[in-house]
Amino acid sequence: MELLEADTDIIANTADIVAALRAIVPDGVVSDSAGLAAFDGDALTAYRQKPLVTVLPRDAEQVAAVLAYAHAHGVPVIPRGAGTSLSGGSLPRADAILLSLTRMSRIKEIDYDNRCVVTEPGVTNLSITRAVEGRGFYYAPDPSSQIACTVGGNVAENSGGLHCLKYGLTTNNLLGVEIILVDGTRLRLGGKAPGARGLDLLGVVAGSEGLLGVVVEATLRILPKPPVTRTLLAAFDTVPAAGQCVADIIAAGIVPAAMEFMDRRCVDAVEAHCAPGYPKADGGVLIIDADGIQAEVDHAIAAIADIARRNGAEVREAHEETERARLWSGRKAAFPAMGRLAPDMLCMDGTIPRRMLPAVLERMSAMSDEYKLGFCNVFHAGDGNLHPLIIFDVMKPGELDRAEAFGAAILRLCVEVGGVLTGEHGVGVEKRDLMPDMFSDLDLAQQQRLKCAFDAERLLNPGKVFPTLSACVESGHMHVKDGRIPFPNLPRF
Amino acid sequence: MPTHIASNEDEIVDAVMTAREWRSPLEIVAGGSKRNYGRAVTTMGSVLDVSALSGIIAYEPEELILTAAPGTPLAEIEAALAQKNQRLGFEPGDWGPLLGEPAGLATIGGAICADTNGSARVKFGAARDHLLGFRAVNGFGEAFKAGGKVVKNVTGFDLPKLVCGSFGTLCVLSEVTLRVFPKPPLSTTLIVRGVEPEEGFTLLRKLWSSPLDATGLAFSRGNALIRFEGDKDPLAEKCAAARTLIGARDVIETPEGEVAFRALGRGEVFVDEPFDVWRAIIPPAAAAQLASEIDSPLWLADWAGALFWIATLPGSDAVRDAAARAGGYATLVRADEETRERIAVFEPEDAARAALTKRVKDAFDPMGIFNPGRMWDGV
Ligand SMILES: Cc1cc2nc3c(=O)[nH]c(=O)nc-3n(C[C@H](O)[C@H](O)[C@H](O)COP(=O)(O)OP(=O)(O)OC[C@H]3O[C@@H](n4cnc5c(N)ncnc54)[C@H](O)[C@@H]3O)c2cc1C
Repeated sequence: MELLEADTDIIANTADIVAALRAIVPDGVVSDSAGLAAFDGDALTAYRQKPLVTVLPRDAEQVAAVLAYAHAHGVPVIPRGAGTSLSGGSLPRADAILLSLTRMSRIKEIDYDNRCVVTEPGVTNLSITRAVEGRGFYYAPDPSSQIACTVGGNVAENSGGLHCLKYGLTTNNLLGVEIILVDGTRLRLGGKAPGARGLDLLGVVAGSEGLLGVVVEATLRILPKPPVTRTLLAAFDTVPAAGQCVADIIAAGIVPAAMEFMDRRCVDAVEAHCAPGYPKADGGVLIIDADGIQAEVDHAIAAIADIARRNGAEVREAHEETERARLWSGRKAAFPAMGRLAPDMLCMDGTIPRRMLPAVLERMSAMSDEYKLGFCNVFHAGDGNLHPLIIFDVMKPGELDRAEAFGAAILRLCVEVGGVLTGEHGVGVEKRDLMPDMFSDLDLAQQQRLKCAFDAERLLNPGKVFPTLSACVESGHMHVKDGRIPFPNLPRF
Repeated sequence: MPTHIASNEDEIVDAVMTAREWRSPLEIVAGGSKRNYGRAVTTMGSVLDVSALSGIIAYEPEELILTAAPGTPLAEIEAALAQKNQRLGFEPGDWGPLLGEPAGLATIGGAICADTNGSARVKFGAARDHLLGFRAVNGFGEAFKAGGKVVKNVTGFDLPKLVCGSFGTLCVLSEVTLRVFPKPPLSTTLIVRGVEPEEGFTLLRKLWSSPLDATGLAFSRGNALIRFEGDKDPLAEKCAAARTLIGARDVIETPEGEVAFRALGRGEVFVDEPFDVWRAIIPPAAAAQLASEIDSPLWLADWAGALFWIATLPGSDAVRDAAARAGGYATLVRADEETRERIAVFEPEDAARAALTKRVKDAFDPMGIFNPGRMWDGV
């Protein structure tokens, strides 16, 4: 992947920029090389780049002042939460301020009457649930990185989790934000009252990967915790049988709380790693959770078990909590298990129409031979979100390039079968150059015009999401005053 | 007014290019059921009739996805889904009769652009939570697409959210892809009778905060209405648990509640009344306060108290202030044209927000061709 060239004029001004930032956040500027090494990338580990300077504001006012300064001086800004982005969303630049939001880590308000939590952006995802679980509530979006990743990062990436088939992504659980535009303007979008006042700008800020504004506060919906969760595991001889089982469950009107598929390669890897004791499964396994009230869960689990058996699966049901944890342990260990097989790993993230699963897995096996790299698949089967894990070794010449080419080929395949480039990890730098495979020039131009409406100088997170940076142009306006066009009595047709 | 009829995307492009050339705006109309919702559009241009862009393009029940032309009647989509025991989660209603038009004109594109979601919103979200992707023509005369045709997608900006509730001010839709949901086999409604608003709203929020997953939580004239859906046994368990939460009160249980919820989502009680109609949206815990402040001959609440439908004497804007005091906002859904001109239909925006709204509008339609003035001056 080519990274954008840094602007040497900005770098030449480092001392001034550092001094200006110190004046705004006296105790929160990191500018020494050793200190900056801690901020040299995110979870797309193949890419490393130290920022020009890192600033760690404590409140919204400081964020606004940092942005106003950067805007006035034309310095790019990269917002950063915990740096767990898998797509290089928070990858720094040598000519940009890294704006770390992690010191804004206070939950401001828990409002049980309105079932929401108002929080600063640097709060971790899991601490929202921790803060409200005593009263029987939780925050539904649960990315696997939830101990580390921040609410600001979740909003920017519109993150999902195991439970988003039933409970939605971040955007569906987000009531409002306060954002700061690049010129320092503070804006509230949404709030405790549901819905948009006017255009749904909150809807586009969610998932905007730090390109539209900096989130300094979020209002999140909390849900009452379902009293009962039951889990079953179904092992299949063939992938099509597993695929059919998923289709049948959906067609039966059941919405499981989670429905995860692991292919044979993944099952083999986790068995070698932590031995969860899955049955033999040449086609892979499905792990399914149903949650709700007792009768609802019993009904769903009975129906799911029946459907799985009819599709030829060997079914195991967890009858107690330890067994449930054991069934899930294999899925949760997929990452580390693959990580043991090679020093580096790329976690891909495309979505496909569910029915394409067998065909896609077959094509991926062929690609694995072609690129001579190992991989396995975990799949959020309910919503068609595929996570191929490609293993490689950066130290071996050519392997990173091959891994990226393999990954790109997988994502192109996702688009080819009617799917999309990313289901939950975002475009970042990782998939930036693949955007034209999914979107036409006109599609991308429309998105870039929206970017221009928020950030005409394109100072926020440049080099991410869009393969080319076209300048924001003023377009010819027809002047309409008070809703009336000029010279209304002139005939126009 | 001259009318262009577009029956496919290319014809929309042609109409927009002509409008650009003549610098003459377009009022976009499909079924016409909500033409009187929003401010009156500048009348000097032409009507762009997109009702001929109609029909279901692809429906894959097992993928929980439906793609349709935006002019497809809502009723046609609902019928196709019902055949496969599915439905639209946001329960859009036909607002035609409420707005003085015949029933049956409402289209899926109109429901999306006007964001008409019903009682189930409390559980399943609004139109914006269900529109996965679309194709459209912008004010440059360019056909483009956004979003995708799978249920989970974060590729690029989420323009589908922006289109929901945009009242045709950004682009002309030519295709929409929606997420659909299984339709539970049974529905039942508990009606708690003879409760004061304060008590009723406390009760509704208690149920909303329980794991019983009610799909309707409304308050109407001294009755709290609680809808549950599901299979037989789960439904029985939910009703029993709800009764425990409700306590010793006058409760009846009826499968007919469905009719009441449908009527609620369409504002049916207001149809023949001589009043203006507002919708106020507030944090639900402020419902009792709002109920005590409004001076209204007829009002109802939904979404556990977050939504109020309020009738007022013609020309009054008292609801807007009351909603603001309750921490929310209000939209004037029905009033005569003069009133809609005088009282902002949509919540007025402060300078910073209005400037951003205008820039977003310009990003799609810089010449102001689409529905000019429908939402605010210039938008
Ligand atoms: C092991 C592992 C498992 C993961 N599992 C999942 C998963 O299950 N589901 C999933 O969806 N993702 C998953 N992820 C990806 C990642 O955790 C999410 O994308 C997460 O939301 C990123 O949060 P962060 O705080 O680390 O943000 P960062 O990585 O710091 O930033 C991510 C993006 O958000 C922007 N940003 C951050 N904060 C703000 C702010 N306040 N305002 C504006 N923009 C901001 C950044 O500029 C960047 O573009 C996983 C990652 C890892 C490493």
